[in-house]
Amino acid sequence: MSQKPETLYTTLEKEALICARCGYCRTDCPIYKVIGWESASPRGKVSFSREIFAHKQRRDIPEEFVRRLAQCTLCGSCAVACSTTIDLRRLWLDLRQRLAEAGQEPQAYVNLRDTLAAHKNITNFSNDERLEWAQDLDDPESIEPRSGADVCYFVGCVSSFFPQAAEVPLATAQILHEAECDFTTMGGEEWCCGFPLLGAGYADEARKFIRHNVEKIKAMDIHTLIASCPSCYHVWKHDSREVLKGYDLKIQHTTEYLAQLIKEGKIQLNELDEVITYHDPCDLGRNSGIYEAPRAIINSIPGVKFVEMAHNKDYALCCGGGGNLQSVDPENAARIAALRVEEIQATGASIVVSACQQCEQMLTAAIRKENLPIRVLDISQLILEAL
Amino acid sequence: MKTEIVKEILDQYGEQATDSPFERSFYSRDLAPVPELLVGPLFKTLPDIVVRPANTEEVSDILKTAWKYTIPVTPRAGGSTVYFNTVPLHKGILMDLNLLKGVVAVDEAAMTVTVKPATTWIELERYLSGKGLAPKSFPSSTPVATIGGWFSMLGYGIGSLKYGSLLSQVRSIEVVTPEGKARRLTRDTQPSLEWFAAAEGTLGIVTELEVEIRHQTQLKHYLLQCSDPLEMRDKMQAVIKGAEVPFNLHFTDQECLQGMKTLGIAPGGLDHGYLLAVDYEGSDQELEQAEKIIQTITEKNQSVRLLPVETAELEWEEKFKAMRLKRGGPSLLGAEIWLPIKNLPQYLADVRKMSQSYNFKLFSYGHVVTPDYATVMTTFNADEMHTIRYIINLSLVKKLHDIGYRYGGSPYGVGLWNAPMIGRIHQPSELKRLKKIKRDLDGKGTMNPGKVYRAPFILNPLNYALAMDMLAGIRKVFGRGW
Ligand SMILES: Cc1cc2nc3c(=O)[nH]c(=O)nc-3n(C[C@H](O)[C@H](O)[C@H](O)COP(=O)(O)OP(=O)(O)OC[C@H]3O[C@@H](n4cnc5c(N)ncnc54)[C@H](O)[C@@H]3O)c2cc1C
Repeated sequence: MSQKPETLYTTLEKEALICARCGYCRTDCPIYKVIGWESASPRGKVSFSREIFAHKQRRDIPEEFVRRLAQCTLCGSCAVACSTTIDLRRLWLDLRQRLAEAGQEPQAYVNLRDTLAAHKNITNFSNDERLEWAQDLDDPESIEPRSGADVCYFVGCVSSFFPQAAEVPLATAQILHEAECDFTTMGGEEWCCGFPLLGAGYADEARKFIRHNVEKIKAMDIHTLIASCPSCYHVWKHDSREVLKGYDLKIQHTTEYLAQLIKEGKIQLNELDEVITYHDPCDLGRNSGIYEAPRAIINSIPGVKFVEMAHNKDYALCCGGGGNLQSVDPENAARIAALRVEEIQATGASIVVSACQQCEQMLTAAIRKENLPIRVLDISQLILEAL
Repeated sequence: MKTEIVKEILDQYGEQATDSPFERSFYSRDLAPVPELLVGPLFKTLPDIVVRPANTEEVSDILKTAWKYTIPVTPRAGGSTVYFNTVPLHKGILMDLNLLKGVVAVDEAAMTVTVKPATTWIELERYLSGKGLAPKSFPSSTPVATIGGWFSMLGYGIGSLKYGSLLSQVRSIEVVTPEGKARRLTRDTQPSLEWFAAAEGTLGIVTELEVEIRHQTQLKHYLLQCSDPLEMRDKMQAVIKGAEVPFNLHFTDQECLQGMKTLGIAPGGLDHGYLLAVDYEGSDQELEQAEKIIQTITEKNQSVRLLPVETAELEWEEKFKAMRLKRGGPSLLGAEIWLPIKNLPQYLADVRKMSQSYNFKLFSYGHVVTPDYATVMTTFNADEMHTIRYIINLSLVKKLHDIGYRYGGSPYGVGLWNAPMIGRIHQPSELKRLKKIKRDLDGKGTMNPGKVYRAPFILNPLNYALAMDMLAGIRKVFGRGW
């Protein structure tokens, strides 16, 4: 696993002044690519923030600016490009927090916060139904919460509640069974990881969710946690650090854990005669530094021909599904996905694999729209096919 | 601009045009954070409308409208220049060229690529790399700079020492003249494509370029640590005269190195000496030759240290990140000077004296771009939050240019802010020739008015020099602690 460099972030005001307005951030910004106005570019947004928050040249936060701030997938490509090493992802989160503090956040964020407060997950389902997906397992009860298990699988809201994403936890659980892992889940005690709240500017609310999950993990005496959702993983790995201080918890993305199982020979993979490309989820790749584990898994399947997309790893294009963009601007989210699909198509691959249920959903919709003969699979589904 | 004309363009271009005050405000500045206090009374930098043409016909159509009604047009692509080159001075139409993007064709037999003008260098580099090809040169702002933008500026940067300026690599262009006619130009046409290089968007819009390319080769990086500027200059010249010409030859002075050290970004954690980065590209044979050149230079000179290859590679990887110095700011002011290499030690010595007499830190670095000239950047940290101090500090930019001029240098790029020094950039006869070209092609003066050829009255050379010298005097006496 490559390491993410430490952030140099100071404050919104200072970083907005440090921004050189060079525009390096523009070239790979997915939202700038599809909107095209300077106001949609990271440079434009930072410049405007500088006028409001550093120079205090205006008191109000105009509606158009609020819209632009919400039009961001938090993919972090701007931060990779930044010539002054500004941790721009953090800056966008700060800005969204300012919007929330001013009561000017988009209505979709308010709705999201209310849903989370009521149900502890991003849907309107009761949180007790977290393990509904497991009914399709041979032994659904085997994954009921259990203290002291070697590993806890943090399933995430989308995989838990959205039928089209249920294949991800199902495949993951089956592989873990196959490898004879002693694993469990948090069941109804798993709350949303807090990522959507952080992305909407509600850091304080997010902290409550983080604290709840950490307390439950401690109570269950869990010391290894795996997550298949890159955003959940990111929150556990980075944003829960403070609350986890002093507690020994190994946090891994499922790709890291499964790659290790393959390496140890606990999973045997059979031949697959396929051309496969891999889409790096932003929160797993660029924002967490995990590039090699998923590639190692794909390359360990005999017969597979692996091809990289033109933009990969640090420079991978976003799928459009991050940063709560879909809740405020689904059209542009879909246009971003379409750009990624062009690259997938150019590889000639018959399967695009990813490691994020959200990316997979975005790519599936875009591929379907174009009627392309390309299958979208989660890495766990790919492993299952090769078992 | 009359409302009917704004409406006409809005109706015609739909989502590709805007007159929203919010959207327009983003086009009223470039990289330079020049305070409104200074700009507001002199210029009208907020365009009336921003239009994003998607093809040559649309560019032509918009220019025809502007010509008909004599409306100023300011072209903007990457928007990575600093002299208000892309900022309107008299409102009008801001033409955002960024939809004119993409590779049109690669001709591997002729070793050329034809591109639309707003393709960025990084996009072109990635595209060519997939085919085992590469651009012959690129600016150190490659992640944002566009092919058309660099052609419209001076076009020197990384690779120029070996392959010449961008102009020398451009075989043909398509351009739309101010009255809206699309023309394909070569060196042999009238007008020649050469007229449009470094014209800073004052003669028309370049809508396509055919540029020479090379095969992608291996690179080898060396980093030499010299003890003083004289030695650095001598080694520079020795490298240039070597049998193999480096692809890139970049220097960093000691003050800059120390500034980087403070920010934790100095290569190899170094804090003294003058760094010379020498990067070669080519065949195995050429790289062997290069190795010998570096060996000869370093072996004979005990005082020149060859730094570890990892440090040299890191220096190369960070080649587009010069702006990191801004973290010590928050603002960064500076002067970029086209300077004879032979005078680099004297230039740096005077810069050091200036640094002492004004009591502030000056950081210099640069690229050798021809066998005789380097583009030298000298920068200093400032704080735009203190407006008056900041404005006074701006005068020190002129003082840096004065040092450059003393040693045969001139400003690199003109735009608005260097226009008062146009007499230092061009000989009178050359300036006369350029003005005639401007008159012949743009009789109505609609293309990027107020830039390049002469400074606006308020910034005429005399006023400008007097004002800047006075402010610098104030800075010297009262601003030693700033
Ligand atoms: C960190 C950094 C490093 C830099 N390094 C270099 C360097 O190595 N060498 C160098 O020369 N410069 C350098 N620059 C300055 C600048 O980035 C380059 O000159 C760049 O090529 C400008 O391209 P752009 O697309 O940003 O042009 P813009 O800034 O958008 O425009 C530049 C000028 O060209 C005009 N223009 C743009 N496109 C067209 C067109 N298609 N037709 C007609 N006119 C047009 C504009 O009106 C303007 O006058 C650097 C800047 C930064 C911030």
